[in-house]
Amino acid sequence: MADPKKPRAAFAPWDRRELPGSFSVEETARKVGHYKWIEMKLFEALGGWVATVPELDVKMRLGTHCYHHAWHSELWHKRLPELREMNPDRLTLPANDAMVEFVEAMTEPEAPETTIEKLVGVYRVLIPHKIAAYTYHLNNTSQITDAPTQRSLRFILQDEYDDWRDGEMLIQSLLETEEEVQRAAAHQARLELIMIRAGGIAGPGSIGPVAKELEEATA
Amino acid sequence: MATVNVTPQEFNFVSYDAAVVERIAEKLVRDVGLGDATVDIEIDEKTPLGRQRIESVDDPVKLFVEGGAFEDPTEPRHLTERGTADVLGRLLFRVADRRSGRFDDAPADTDMSLQESVAWDAYCMGRLERLGYDVRKPRRQYHFRTRHGFNDVADAVFERLWSADELTWADVAAACAETEAIRQPA
Amino acid sequence: MKKLMTSQDLARDARFKRVPMQARALDRRLTEKQRDAILGKEGRKPRNQFSPEHPDAPDRARAMMHGIFVGEIQALEGAGRTCWDFEVGTGENEVPFALKLDMARQCWDEARHCEISVKLSDHMGTEIGEFGESAFLFEAACNPDPILRLAGVNRALEGLAIDVFNTMKEFGDKAGDPVLEFCEDWMLADEVTHVKMGSDWLRRGTENDPARRERALEFQRIVDKLFSGGGARGEEESSPIKLARRFRELAGFDKTEIDEIANLSKEALEEAKRAMAGAAKAYGS
Repeated sequence: MADPKKPRAAFAPWDRRELPGSFSVEETARKVGHYKWIEMKLFEALGGWVATVPELDVKMRLGTHCYHHAWHSELWHKRLPELREMNPDRLTLPANDAMVEFVEAMTEPEAPETTIEKLVGVYRVLIPHKIAAYTYHLNNTSQITDAPTQRSLRFILQDEYDDWRDGEMLIQSLLETEEEVQRAAAHQARLELIMIRAGGIAGPGSIGPVAKELEEATA
Repeated sequence: MATVNVTPQEFNFVSYDAAVVERIAEKLVRDVGLGDATVDIEIDEKTPLGRQRIESVDDPVKLFVEGGAFEDPTEPRHLTERGTADVLGRLLFRVADRRSGRFDDAPADTDMSLQESVAWDAYCMGRLERLGYDVRKPRRQYHFRTRHGFNDVADAVFERLWSADELTWADVAAACAETEAIRQPA
Repeated sequence: MKKLMTSQDLARDARFKRVPMQARALDRRLTEKQRDAILGKEGRKPRNQFSPEHPDAPDRARAMMHGIFVGEIQALEGAGRTCWDFEVGTGENEVPFALKLDMARQCWDEARHCEISVKLSDHMGTEIGEFGESAFLFEAACNPDPILRLAGVNRALEGLAIDVFNTMKEFGDKAGDPVLEFCEDWMLADEVTHVKMGSDWLRRGTENDPARRERALEFQRIVDKLFSGGGARGEEESSPIKLARRFRELAGFDKTEIDEIANLSKEALEEAKRAMAGAAKAYGS
């Protein structure tokens, strides 16, 4: 039996978590507010689209994914007060005007013939950008001080990967002609350009310091 | 040459066409082997229900059908040709069976148990399917399971009845006894 | 994408055929039971069409299952539109964030119910689109007031779903269909949750607004009565759909409210009889 009085290291030899992290409490709260905003916009859009898509399999998948993103927004909503933001609505904001423009453009398709555009906007543009931003955040925040955010990010990322794959496979199954491929590509390019202007779902720096910040850091 | 008489000829409560029913029935009479029989079909158009009965197996064969039996489930008060063939095909195969001599010992339809009735239906509908009619086998299988049990024995018996061609009433009764033994073991 | 769409805009593939309410209203045909009721005759002892002993029970169950399937699609669409139609806020046409989360959760549940219904329909030998679709559920989900919408959909129609699922579960049990009984029981559990959501939001959303609460309850009563199937849902032995008192209690209904639903169904039955008698007289049936 182990000696209960024997001192042990606080961190086991295999526990290599590090203290430093790239984000302050305020910076984390700001990002989390942007995450909550985009997750809300996404689940609202998916919910709204359910009635507008005639494809039964797509309809049912959108209904399922709608809840995934609602749950993500709830996780972020609950995290905000833990980051000293007692009024979560105050930080539930788009990163910038370009993100608002992005959501407007993404939710523009409505007619039953535009399922490809609906899916492309979500699964070929928005969700890949979410995965990128969440991965960057997960890998750069403090593994000790910000463990609650990391835990949420891991759960959320698992959903994002699964939903991304679902959505991509739905798109591939819908694309049958050259015209449809062109439509998908054109819509993707249009949205991607807006996303570039937005700088990612949390604004510039969503997936790392932007060039200007890097220059400053080097100087 | 088969003769089919449909009553009424004009419909007021539903949008049915007597000529369509006659056309479907004439082909069925030939297909099920009733030769040049005369068949009278009386339709009660005033009810949305779908009960049917054979009133006479001798010439003229008399069939009574509540109007709902021919109705398209996606379009109220309109006839479905597939459904009409389904209903009349089943009845006419029963008539042919009773006239064949192989079903002389079958009880009257009204005295038959649900199990017996559904088992005979499986035998009729299987033959109708092989004649090229769209009879929706899974629907019949569900009918059979609800009466004979949701088990492998019932499924095997259903397949046997469905694929058979020259059964007697004794074969149908034996099939019922086989599933009964599983549902209510001694 | 616009807000507040109508049932005309619901997207469906070619298999689905909409049956307008009008088509049913124009139907002058009567069942024997209805004729007897109009003529004041005793008629034959009424039999429950969902009793496995009834010759038509399997086909009735198949038709009911298809009705459940299209109802689930519309419930999914309705919950999804509630996520989209209203902004988060405290105004009359805004909703709390938590209400939206509930609706998103309901989307997932209804999507699963669609999946279950497709599998069950297949199990019962039914093809998608074999029966017509009425859009009545979604129409209740078009109310522009979110609290009225939830009262109509979550309390009235999801309440009806409790009764329907319980009826189907009992049919599965009596017919020895383990698949049907298993699935209906799971869906029933979800419906109780959805009705409870409706009850909770009705209470919370109208805490300081008794007039709005009364409007919501009135809307619920209208929906309850309209969709009691002309009295088909009730507590009589012959009622095809039984009022599931125990499950409704679990969902937050009190005894008075359940009694009221039972009475509304009786009223609907009497009104249907009067309407049929009028129609029969007019057309000389």
